[in-house]
Amino acid sequence: MKSALLPERGAGDRMTAIFWRRPRVLLALLITPPLLWLGVVYIGSLAALLLQSFYSIDEFSGLVVHEFTLKTYIELLRPANFDIIRRTLLMSASVTLASAVLAFPIAYYAARYATGRWKAVFYLGVMLPLWSSYLVKVYAWKLILAKEGIITWVADGLGLGFLLDAALALPGVGGNSLSTSFLGTFIVFVYVWLPYMILPMQAALERVPKSMLEASADLGASSAQTFRTVILPLAMPGVVAGSIFTFSLTMGDYIIPQIIGTSARFIGLAVYQLQGTAGNLPLAAAFAVVPIIIMLIYLSLAKRAGAFDAL
Amino acid sequence: MTAAVEFDSVSRHFGPVRAVDGVNLSVAEGTFFAMLGPSGSGKTTCLRLISGFEKPTHGVIRIFGQDVSNTPPNRRNVNTVFQDYALFPHLNVRENVGYGLMVKGVGRATRNAKAEEMLALVKLDGFGERKPAQLSGGQRQRVALARALVNEPRVLLLDEPLGALDLKLREAMQDELKALQKRLGITFVFVTHDQSEALSMADRLAVFNHGKIAQIGTPSEIYARPRTRFVADFVGSSNVLPPELAQRLGGAQNWSSLRPEALRLTAADTTALTGTVTGLRYLGAGTRVTVAVSGAELGVLVPTGTPLPDQGAAVGIAFDTSDLHPMEEA
Repeated sequence: MKSALLPERGAGDRMTAIFWRRPRVLLALLITPPLLWLGVVYIGSLAALLLQSFYSIDEFSGLVVHEFTLKTYIELLRPANFDIIRRTLLMSASVTLASAVLAFPIAYYAARYATGRWKAVFYLGVMLPLWSSYLVKVYAWKLILAKEGIITWVADGLGLGFLLDAALALPGVGGNSLSTSFLGTFIVFVYVWLPYMILPMQAALERVPKSMLEASADLGASSAQTFRTVILPLAMPGVVAGSIFTFSLTMGDYIIPQIIGTSARFIGLAVYQLQGTAGNLPLAAAFAVVPIIIMLIYLSLAKRAGAFDAL
Repeated sequence: MTAAVEFDSVSRHFGPVRAVDGVNLSVAEGTFFAMLGPSGSGKTTCLRLISGFEKPTHGVIRIFGQDVSNTPPNRRNVNTVFQDYALFPHLNVRENVGYGLMVKGVGRATRNAKAEEMLALVKLDGFGERKPAQLSGGQRQRVALARALVNEPRVLLLDEPLGALDLKLREAMQDELKALQKRLGITFVFVTHDQSEALSMADRLAVFNHGKIAQIGTPSEIYARPRTRFVADFVGSSNVLPPELAQRLGGAQNWSSLRPEALRLTAADTTALTGTVTGLRYLGAGTRVTVAVSGAELGVLVPTGTPLPDQGAAVGIAFDTSDLHPMEEA
């Protein structure tokens, strides 16, 4: 006669029994480390940062005055500083928009049509750039965009040099060469952050069943109407997720504008310089708070616009 | 009168697979037409050919006499109730129902009024504000129906619309759909793999097998006079007798069908056909008794209340020779 119970096979079975009797134990074990990390290390340092931004710097001694004041935030509104914020915001918005436009067809293809091997090719193609160092890529782009670089060479070879010159002659974004213009900064930003837009978009589009698109066509919608009223709203959580990446990564980056572009500063660079050589930690902190505020505003606007309705 | 839907030797091949293979059919206006068949028999592909989600590899499809070979789905005046309902999750019920009117540029007020009217028709008044996720399966099914009907299509296509519902709801919906079709007078083309559903609802039905139509006719024709062994077996699990046995029992030397309810069990020594009971399956209203006779296994439907034989007992089987139906094809 066989026993009703199977024999216990050691520690694994004992652990399983504990988890079965007390499911919360497993949950606690799983979420305690990330909770500590996010709660203490991340939120903690964020709070410390926020605190710093309410201090100010003594203009004569250059020492931090540990007294609560909004002086540092008012400092942000000075034309030189406000320009940095405006420039960064504009660049982040353009990079996000361009990434979204570029990413959509790729993500749509991957979600709708690619199967098996082609899906693997897609993932490889999107992820491959992430395998090499960010710095290597940025320096490679510096060479590509340089006046003696491959883009100029190809444009001249095709007799399209005038187009390049016209682009560089654009006021505000142009410059001496692509590698020393805002246009160049923009191109490299888009290149570097594009995968972060494609992947969430693809994940969101993957969740839209094909029958949904068929139903739309069946009810009389043209392709453009289906895109506007079905695909876009359903893909929106992915677009927003992707744009959070591209937007905040662009806002915080201080390497790309330093290597490619003009000498005009972006928030990331300003923070880097202020907390380093300038030793103005309060202003650096105040600058660092700006992207956080902008992201909060952006998310609440996106929520109000119904971007998360399909979640 | 022009047919609502007409297939003229239509085929749809997917690579080497012939999903639909030389189908000819004609659906008269105002009928409830069912396409019945096992999965993979081509019935759903036929439906998708009518809606325009698939293009025929060969042949011509006409809707009310018009060749639709070059007409995309959004310009066909047919609407579909999808198997998974395909309701838009980001729109509420009223917006879902009004979607077809919205993309045609109908103003919001008219749209909402019509949507409410349709919701009333499917008995969902007052559900307009809800999201599809807040509805039960049966309610979603009704919304899908209302969303299709609001466009006043000339043909309504239904792709296994009752498949996801439980039995009780399913039977109620069968009656409602049938009544709705009668009332609106729209041509319904209904795909199902459930033979009892097809028999009970359809005015005419086509039985599909391997991408071809095995038989087309009224439910009673198909049930009483199946043309092939496949139809006999698939529609109502009839007994299929090989030619020799059919001839021995007084029929023609053809593959023949014999309905389980046409057979009666008798004492073993009173009839020419005897066998051994190999199985009993209780069905509620009756019991299906399987009897092994020489050369075949026969199912006999014994009404509840009649005494049942034991497993392994020797029994006789009696029937009228007129119930033995010879089939045209193997």
